[in-house]
Amino acid sequence: MTEANGAAAVPGENFTRVPFALFSDPATFARERDALFRGPTWNYLGLAVEIPNPGDYLLGYVGDVQVVVNRTPAGGIAAFENSCAHRGAQLVRRTRGNAAQHAHTCPYHQWRFDTAGALLSVPQEHGVKGKGGMPVDFDKRRHGLRTLRVETYKGLIFGTFAPEVPSLYDYLGPKIRPEIDRIFDRPVVVLGHWRQAIPANWKLYLENVKDPYHASLLHLYHTTFGIYRATMSGRVIMDDTCGHSVLRTADIGENPTEMKALYKDIDKYRPDYKLKDPSLFDTKPDYDDRVTNMIMTVFPNLMLGQVASTFQTRHVRPKGVDSFELYWTYLGFASDDAAAREGRLRQANFVGPAGYISLEDGEAGRLVQRGTHGLNDRASVVEMGGHGAIADQDTLATEVAVRGFWKRYHELMRAAV
Amino acid sequence: MNDRAKAAPTPAGSLNSDPALGADMRTAIERFLIEYARCLDEDRLEAWPDFFLADACYQVLSRENVEHGLPAPIIYHYSRGMIEDRVTSLRDALTYEPVYTRHMVSNVYVVGVEAGVYRVTSNYAVYHTTVEGRTDLYSVGRYDDAIVVRDGQLKFKTRTVIADTFAIKNNMALPL
Repeated sequence: MTEANGAAAVPGENFTRVPFALFSDPATFARERDALFRGPTWNYLGLAVEIPNPGDYLLGYVGDVQVVVNRTPAGGIAAFENSCAHRGAQLVRRTRGNAAQHAHTCPYHQWRFDTAGALLSVPQEHGVKGKGGMPVDFDKRRHGLRTLRVETYKGLIFGTFAPEVPSLYDYLGPKIRPEIDRIFDRPVVVLGHWRQAIPANWKLYLENVKDPYHASLLHLYHTTFGIYRATMSGRVIMDDTCGHSVLRTADIGENPTEMKALYKDIDKYRPDYKLKDPSLFDTKPDYDDRVTNMIMTVFPNLMLGQVASTFQTRHVRPKGVDSFELYWTYLGFASDDAAAREGRLRQANFVGPAGYISLEDGEAGRLVQRGTHGLNDRASVVEMGGHGAIADQDTLATEVAVRGFWKRYHELMRAAV
Repeated sequence: MNDRAKAAPTPAGSLNSDPALGADMRTAIERFLIEYARCLDEDRLEAWPDFFLADACYQVLSRENVEHGLPAPIIYHYSRGMIEDRVTSLRDALTYEPVYTRHMVSNVYVVGVEAGVYRVTSNYAVYHTTVEGRTDLYSVGRYDDAIVVRDGQLKFKTRTVIADTFAIKNNMALPL
């Protein structure tokens, strides 16, 4: 409910009402930087397999702040803000690479830093011809780059600016770690990246991936070809904070009569619809659990997903109050044979910017951003699955994980006031 | 490391300036590329698959992935049947923003011909215009094509779109 007299909008009625203003208020966006992204959260930075060798680096984001993630000479991982300690210039300009001599040199005044962020050298530090230069009390040890604390779990790299946050292992917790273990217990390979510039507030994508209700209704392709139907066996689980969640769908326990009745008046289900070339479905399952669809989120803004035989991370990178980049890392397994690899490339048609399923989620974000614009006296109604306790549910007809997101969001935003 | 952005190399070759190409063939290729653009811009999606052979491959790739040698495609339709399936999805199934499209095709360059397959590159710029008449540049990039003559008509054996605009504006429902 939006409070009168312009106070910050707060989700109300046990998190079943989400003020539209949260998707368009610039002050809220500014507060999220400190409360969430610099707050007690672990933020996804990339995969260890992307920077295998000493000197390798990649650019990541914590909120809308760009960071450099490095493999150090000793084999560890270090990360720092991509902003020179001198005048703040962008230090590293390419999205990935290998740092020559394990050092990054600022293009502006050639200040040089090692891959852990320590300042190595300052040109003309002692002046020129006995004049100028830095003051005698300038101490290079005190002018390194601002670093993040970095931890990894199963090859996923996370960083945090907050000293008090618990270990990544505990942050993920016992209900989230098994989903990471399921996918990352064997070596993965990166098959590519995709980027989408989505004209919506970043939180709308989090709402989308925590909402199994839409998936059987917005995505005809899902429904008609049996990747995801409301009648499949489904489960929504959350960690203790309710900020992380797992939505899991398995091809178990479906009853065709029930299916027919449920979709009677919904033209998104088309049993008559046949593909001219269905060969992209010809992949062997990677697991024997019959899971066809899984989407896990780590608060605040990382997703790990499975759609059929595709596996991906999706990182939501805010670019402004009404815009974010959805950054996909598309995965295969090192053990894939040629047929399995080809199958994953074929099923790229399901996901990513042009994927038969995923492209509609970008449109969903645009629709809500457009539809809520200027309506700061209204709030969304999030009651599918009930308005009682925010707890795990064994159904896909629920929005309870959306409420869980807002609960955790509100706790951190309130704590930072 | 050289800090200049790496170029995705265009295929080497120079049949373009070779008299052996023939003015008729050059004109036919340019006309074929324009007809493809007109087909999409006039929303005649049902005719779009006719530009392809039965075993054609239509792909859209991110320039970022191409430069890093990563194979994940944005679109990978490896048969005319799949190209037809996309048309059916666009018409009956998918939810996406209704827009007008405008393709600008330029710098058509015939790289070479081998065993009746013409390798052609061209540049594109595609604009999207909303239902309220606001226009944005949606995507720029390059087409790498393999074109053959089949029953007196030109057809794509392969059409590979390499998008410079690899941060896709929202999503990519309609083909480029």
